Amino acid sequence: MPAVCFYFQVHQPYRLRRYSYFDVEKATTYFDENLNRSIMEGVATRCYLPTNERLLRMLREHDGAFKIAFSISGTAIEQMREYAPEALESFRALAETGHVEFLGETYYHSLASLYNREEFESQVLLHAECVEREFGQRPRVFRNTELIYNDEIGQRAGELGFRGVLAEGVSDVLGWRSPHFVYRVPGATTKMLLRSFKLSDDIAFRFTHRDSNDSQSLTPDRFATSLHALSGNADVVGLFLDYETFGEHHRKETGILDFLEALPRHTILQREWKFLTPSEAIRLFSPVSELSFPRTTSWADTERDVSAWCGNMMQRAALGEVYNTDKLYAGCDLSAPDMALARETWRRLQTSDHFYYMSTKGDGDGVVHRYFSPFESPYDAFVAYMNVLKDINARCRRVVAERDRRPASNE
Amino acid sequence: MDFPKYAPYNPNTRDAVPYIRSPMKILMLGWEYPPHIAGGLGTACKGLTSALSAQGVDIHFVVPQLFGREEARHMVLSDASRRVSPGGQQPRGVGPAPLPIPTTRIPAFLSPYGNPRQFKEAVAAVTHREVASLSPALRNDPVARALIDGEVYGIDLVSALEETETVLSADNVAHERYSKDLFEEVERFTLQVISQFAGETFDVIHAHDWMTFPAAVALSERTGKPLIVHVHSLEQDRSGLFAHPQITEIERFGTRHADKVIAVSYFTKRSVERHHGVSPSRVLVVHNGVYPREMVTDYREKKTWPEHVVAFVGRVTFQKGPEYFVEMASKVIPHLPDVLFVIAGTGDMLPSIMGRVKELGLTKNFMFPGFVQGEELEEIFSVADIYVMPSVSEPFGITALEAVSFDTPIIISKQSGVAEVIEHALKVDFWDVDRMADLIINALVHPELRHDLARMAREEVKQLHWDAAALKTIDIYQDVSPHAAV
Repeated sequence: MPAVCFYFQVHQPYRLRRYSYFDVEKATTYFDENLNRSIMEGVATRCYLPTNERLLRMLREHDGAFKIAFSISGTAIEQMREYAPEALESFRALAETGHVEFLGETYYHSLASLYNREEFESQVLLHAECVEREFGQRPRVFRNTELIYNDEIGQRAGELGFRGVLAEGVSDVLGWRSPHFVYRVPGATTKMLLRSFKLSDDIAFRFTHRDSNDSQSLTPDRFATSLHALSGNADVVGLFLDYETFGEHHRKETGILDFLEALPRHTILQREWKFLTPSEAIRLFSPVSELSFPRTTSWADTERDVSAWCGNMMQRAALGEVYNTDKLYAGCDLSAPDMALARETWRRLQTSDHFYYMSTKGDGDGVVHRYFSPFESPYDAFVAYMNVLKDINARCRRVVAERDRRPASNE
Repeated sequence: MDFPKYAPYNPNTRDAVPYIRSPMKILMLGWEYPPHIAGGLGTACKGLTSALSAQGVDIHFVVPQLFGREEARHMVLSDASRRVSPGGQQPRGVGPAPLPIPTTRIPAFLSPYGNPRQFKEAVAAVTHREVASLSPALRNDPVARALIDGEVYGIDLVSALEETETVLSADNVAHERYSKDLFEEVERFTLQVISQFAGETFDVIHAHDWMTFPAAVALSERTGKPLIVHVHSLEQDRSGLFAHPQITEIERFGTRHADKVIAVSYFTKRSVERHHGVSPSRVLVVHNGVYPREMVTDYREKKTWPEHVVAFVGRVTFQKGPEYFVEMASKVIPHLPDVLFVIAGTGDMLPSIMGRVKELGLTKNFMFPGFVQGEELEEIFSVADIYVMPSVSEPFGITALEAVSFDTPIIISKQSGVAEVIEHALKVDFWDVDRMADLIINALVHPELRHDLARMAREEVKQLHWDAAALKTIDIYQDVSPHAAV
């Protein structure tokens, strides 16, 4: 009995304001609070609230036959709590149905998995605690930032106690193999679920305004037909999507929510297909084989690699700088007045989106990068970022210098 | 016969398709031609005519005066009396033999961008000093240099100065006199063009900037040939509130009488429509181009330049925003004390800019090499860490493209035409000095920012070759003169 595994990424970064070099060591308002508030309010109104409402109805209606999973970043949870508490409440309501799984990731939706092992583990644990507190369940399956994955990340997820991990079903990694089966991390018992990029992207990018006369438009029936065609040749089909696909990237008027609602009722649940959460899927299906990733993959850009965040020299300089200064924050006295703010800012600066905005890619991917960026150009994004980093590092160094001076004067 | 010529495109097609069946003949009126230039106009004319000629367009380019060192092998380049440049093509058919360049007149002080007031100041500046004690800036001033390098005109400096002094001795009337002179020069050009070229065979008249508009309109009316006026800049851009009403009037006259107006940017197109009331459908945009450089000499190795150089290249006038450059520098220097700021160019604001630098106590951080071109200019472009164009109102800004062709990252004002064609530049409002300083400090501190900017901009500039501008221009020629290609 093949299954569909629906998983949605919910994430909002703390966007920086245009922090100037002349603000360094003067201003501590690093983030564009108005912008962050208005984006959170807008996305909550257009996506989180209406889509959660639909999902809640569907979960109740199908009473256990329909299931979904979320990974919600810590920065999204925090901003919901602050700017749209009713949205956070609606996610809790979904959790209470018992048919929704919450996945683990780094609290700050960061690239720490690639740059700093300790920070990575610390953020994963921070997130797990946060999810348990908010939604009453400890994550058992790991989904790294933007599906960034390589063998080492798979290993580490296992070491951190996760039983499964999600990755992009990248063709050049899979080769002749199908993304529609459960695999295993090489040399570990951790299982892998892969994103079916063709079917996922059908919804994410190829959904257009519903028009039953247009043979190209995606209808629930057409989608189910391509899914059912996999019968006998698939165990589990991973439909992994940005949650904002529903209501934000595709507005409600396009009929995307009706499309979502119609999927289980009329189509997928026919012909022996069912829905499973990631945890259920890895429990139910045995891995067909080990699957090794010779390169780091992600679900971003045409390359499906990490070039969206580390593709140019500015991005690598910013990443090098932010992950080079970790020693400053490790073992610092967080009760010092500036320290807590500096460290929290430092962690928010690790959010992948900041590097995404610095991308200089052109063509189709460039358009997507610009769509998300609050800055006029990648250069503006870089400059604001480096200025903030300079400020918090300076504050931090001052605290460290003072601490080092004090014991000497006591003697 | 060296035509029909074929477009250098479609190298894979066995039988090249001629873009033009037989050469279209264009009479082009300009005011300056490299190397004797005061701004971007001459550079643009050279680039455009070279590319047009490669497409098979036959051009006769007329300027008021030639200096003897112009190189224009791709077309006929003559002055208004049909004396051709030794470095250009000879006119086909019967025509006057090339004459030596006359050596009897004071060189034209009439920079295409000068207005009568500046003209007067330029003359006054020269005559009120001993030549030997000319300031370095003045020594590089094209006007002063024309006087010093007597060879340009074949006159010796003393007689030039004497003549100027004589002229200036009638002190009170000087202003009036020279004010009239600029327009007299335009008028003389107009009369000469009509008398010399009204009987000529050509398909289209193409006139560059206001000084040539009266001649172009008159010639068009006399011959019935279609007229294209090419707006490289407007008096409004150059002088803002101090726009000279008569120049504005000539611009309006020219743009209204033209069959089509070519603007160097959408920025300029909007200005033409707004200031001169020209219908949007008659104003077409042809962005300037640049010839990418094959090799960049590394001057840094040869000479001793400080670690960080920030360059301004252009006329030191209201339009170019030099004062914002200085204010920006005063904000950068406290944080990066060893940066050298170069202001390469001259203009009516140079003394006040130098005064401001002194007042701020920043003399050691500034260098004023005056008007530079050739190798000197190349050296500045290539040693600069960043090129700054803080123009208040910049129709295009061709030097920004030149800077890019030297792999130098650029920071340009949003009030510029070049901002339309280059995405990969730092862009600021010209008045936002804090922002400019913020970006420049970061660019100097982070080589990665400079690297990404330069690399991406270089890719963009490859698309901005003059051939693209030429093809658009040819479309406009064919539009105003549909039978021209027969």
